[in-house]
Amino acid sequence: MTLHWRKIIPRYLVLTVFMLVVLLPIWGALMSAFKSNAEIATSPFSLPQIWTLENFRQAWTVGKFSVFFKNSVIVTTIVVVASVFLSTLSGYAFGQLPLPGRAILFPLMLVGYMVPFEAVVIPLYNWMGLLGLRNTYWALILPQIGLSVSFGTLWMSSFFENAPRELVDAATIDGCNRWQTLWQILWPLAKPATTTLIVLIFMWTWNEFLLALVMVQSEAMRTLSVGLAFFQGRYTSNLSLMAAGAIIVALPTVLIYIIFQRFFIRGMLGGAIKG
Amino acid sequence: MKRIRNFFLITTIFLLTLTSCIPDTPTEVSQEPVGEVPAEPAEDLTLLVWDQFYRPEESAVIDQLNREFENDHPGVTIERETKILEDLKLTVKLALAEADGPDVAQVNQGRSDMGAMVEADLLLPLNEYQTQYNWANVFGTSVASRNSFTPDGKTFGQGNLYGVSPTAEVVGVFYNKGIFAENGWSVPTTFEDFEQLLADIKAAGITPIAFGSLDGWNAIHEFSAIQHLLVSLDYINNLTYGVNNVSFDTPENIEAARIFYDWAQAGYFTDGYSGIGYDDSNNQFKAGEGAMTITGSWFAPELLTGTDQDFGFFLLPGFSGQATVAIGGVGIPYSIRKTTEHPDIAAEYLNWMISPRAAELWAGIGMLPAMSLPEGSDVDTDNLFGETLFAWDTINTNNAVGHYIDWATPTFYDTLVAELQKLLGSVSTPAEFTVAVEADYAQFLQGQ
Amino acid sequence: MKPQAHHRPGESRWKGYLYLLPGFLIYLLFTLIPIIETVRTSFFDWGALGKSNIWVGLGNYIDLLNDSTFLKAFSNNLVFIIFYSIIPIMLGLFLASLLGRYPIPGFTFFRTVLFLPQVISMVVVGVIWRWMFHPTTGPVNLLLGAIGLEEFQQAWLGSFAWALLSVGSVGSWVQYGFCMVLFLAGMQRISEEYYEASSLDGANELQQFIHITVPGLKSEIGVALITTMIAALRVFDLVYATTRGGPGESTLVTGFLIYRTAILNNDIGYGAAMATVLTIVILSLSLLIRKLMTERSDEAA
Repeated sequence: MTLHWRKIIPRYLVLTVFMLVVLLPIWGALMSAFKSNAEIATSPFSLPQIWTLENFRQAWTVGKFSVFFKNSVIVTTIVVVASVFLSTLSGYAFGQLPLPGRAILFPLMLVGYMVPFEAVVIPLYNWMGLLGLRNTYWALILPQIGLSVSFGTLWMSSFFENAPRELVDAATIDGCNRWQTLWQILWPLAKPATTTLIVLIFMWTWNEFLLALVMVQSEAMRTLSVGLAFFQGRYTSNLSLMAAGAIIVALPTVLIYIIFQRFFIRGMLGGAIKG
Repeated sequence: MKRIRNFFLITTIFLLTLTSCIPDTPTEVSQEPVGEVPAEPAEDLTLLVWDQFYRPEESAVIDQLNREFENDHPGVTIERETKILEDLKLTVKLALAEADGPDVAQVNQGRSDMGAMVEADLLLPLNEYQTQYNWANVFGTSVASRNSFTPDGKTFGQGNLYGVSPTAEVVGVFYNKGIFAENGWSVPTTFEDFEQLLADIKAAGITPIAFGSLDGWNAIHEFSAIQHLLVSLDYINNLTYGVNNVSFDTPENIEAARIFYDWAQAGYFTDGYSGIGYDDSNNQFKAGEGAMTITGSWFAPELLTGTDQDFGFFLLPGFSGQATVAIGGVGIPYSIRKTTEHPDIAAEYLNWMISPRAAELWAGIGMLPAMSLPEGSDVDTDNLFGETLFAWDTINTNNAVGHYIDWATPTFYDTLVAELQKLLGSVSTPAEFTVAVEADYAQFLQGQ
Repeated sequence: MKPQAHHRPGESRWKGYLYLLPGFLIYLLFTLIPIIETVRTSFFDWGALGKSNIWVGLGNYIDLLNDSTFLKAFSNNLVFIIFYSIIPIMLGLFLASLLGRYPIPGFTFFRTVLFLPQVISMVVVGVIWRWMFHPTTGPVNLLLGAIGLEEFQQAWLGSFAWALLSVGSVGSWVQYGFCMVLFLAGMQRISEEYYEASSLDGANELQQFIHITVPGLKSEIGVALITTMIAALRVFDLVYATTRGGPGESTLVTGFLIYRTAILNNDIGYGAAMATVLTIVILSLSLLIRKLMTERSDEAA
């Protein structure tokens, strides 16, 4: 069924207005990053008269975004790889294996998915010295894995629970052990679920702020979101430089979102619905 | 619960060993008696230093001082990390507890920073070095007390010395000489003249005071600059150090709040000041928007470069022109980590940061040094720097160096920022303002 | 949850733990135990940087009840619910009703764009909007000036009347696309027959929206409500990057107050008490969401 154009046009108008509300601020920041401060003040949303990459160069070098970027990449990569791997294992345990005590373990796992970082940040902050974590990537990585694993386990276990029984049975008959069944039979089927998990954990880790703010002291270990927050304190009135910094932080997640859009939306809705 | 915690530790250490990432536990460094001669390092060593001199002019001074220190101390490398103050306040207290934390760091004065770190035993008392290097000749007891706490961190202004400050600060009025000359205005000598001047500037269609209260903290300086005209130095000392049971809810403080509020109501501040940050407002002033701004002498270096405007500085004048107390003191001090492996060379570094050479370099960019300039120094004082230096000398001569009142309690900063914004936003009255601030202060005194 | 796992002969029934434990241990150490420790800490008055502590029982919680700053922060979180939940859900329903039933060209494009703020770091969002709201150089005031509405220009983030509204609107800006996409997904389930039947009865689009779409999305609305409410209770990054709670306490939220109290001002026990209260509220809401979803899947079955 299709709509008459007289109904389509008002719809487009309304949708365009809401789209502009979303896009204009982002567009303005993007354009500002290529402009001089004087030009931003007069025409914030126009295309730059002269395109300059100087703001990016300054943010990257003087603003140390190169360092923050490297740190974000290291932390995010380790968190994503470790969380997805561990979640696959534990999700498999919940979904396919006999697990005495499951009735207790499952709700325990759930708690981690629901609590905010505020619930864990104070003791972690207090204990860092005792744990030998101060000023290491591990201070960011381990807690993030902890929280990601709880969501990841729930996510993967629901995949494994619904995995086709016949395949698993057939694998058993062929003599696959549990480990082989997981990686040779089920894992290839789990690609969509795994991709979704990867993009979600990537986004959460990349954008995480509170832990990164509190757990790392030295600039050399800092991630992008915190780097940007302090960059704002230092260059508060240099709009074009701020904009360049903001674009550097946002670009990777936006790119991945555009490429993996389907997985993102499915994951965030699924995540919300799974609760 | 203890068992859970131990379990936590053991398992974590196990995990961390697997990932080979556990640093050595900090070993107690024995406090050897300080020798006569500064200890030359036997082998190459690196001194990690955290400071908050991030503005380009300031940063260049520190880089220069570090280079010269390295040249004078072969084998010593200074590894420097620059942070904005907010970043420093947040991170330094944890970093100083680390075995690989900074050997030397700037530590903000006051209870929530230096006090807490002294209480947690993170800072090295400097008394012996004070004697060794004869710092009594560099700064007097009033300056030393600002960087002193009792070893339990409870009593501010007494006890051990925990830091030395390289710069001095005085809060006063910067003015745009061009705007003043064009309109035939002169530097006021009484507070009454100053208020008349504000009205005249406003009438001329110019912003009298460039100001932005979004960040909050500079509102404390604006209010307290007026407050300092109305109260005695003893009162400010008692309030700041938490002694002799003074109250914040006094007629003088209400009066200061009323004046501050009236200025806002009269439109003497930048349009939309509540949505403008401190640096923003300073940039506007530097660009010639606004006839005056009230802030600390640390702003002078910025006004001496990158602008074609000419600026001057004067102390907020007293009622009927009487000599008054002004907010001032010494800048954020350098402290030494208690567990540093190189306490002697760190102290040597501190001594260098408050040397005549440092004074000369600071003065060269227009920043007030806390130390005297070397004999025969040829620093240009016929400019804005000279005017801030004159103001600083004046309050020192008159024994009228006040305080940053936000040091008074651990939460005083937050309370003052919030309550001053409420006052400016007409959410509370001057009388309600002092009552609200006194509630914080009384609660603190009660807990002492 | 259906435990369909079956035991293989000759296999230890504990084998599952081999797979579970690596992830679970990290989770236990870095999430579960810290949560317990937060609760334990909240019963103590901690000295500077945790060097000494005194048992105060429920003292911190009693103080919280009398702490006007905390109550103000918490009530601001409740106001944020209007901006994070109520407004986005209404906008999301409206937009979904425009996009949902008929495939109009460009559907995917609109969906992609409207969902975009969800994936951007909240610090970046804060930085962008701090610029948008700047009194003199910010586009919001510039636009108002350009269309002749100078009298509506404000110091948005610094004004007692407008700051909470401004920061809250940013929350709506982030959330409404999410709600819309959630509802769009839900509308796939509503059978077209209902709409056709009501069209025959002479119902107009608005009536169909009220009587078919909204009831059909009941469970999605529930999910959106609670997810966004949790987001509203957890606000931290956005306030950090825009107002730091000011002016006064007008945009102060619990998350920021916890950070300020425990981390900046070293009052660790008191901050832990706030964190415990916040966690309990969020956990209760999350349990509610699960209950709702279980009911939904029961209905479906």
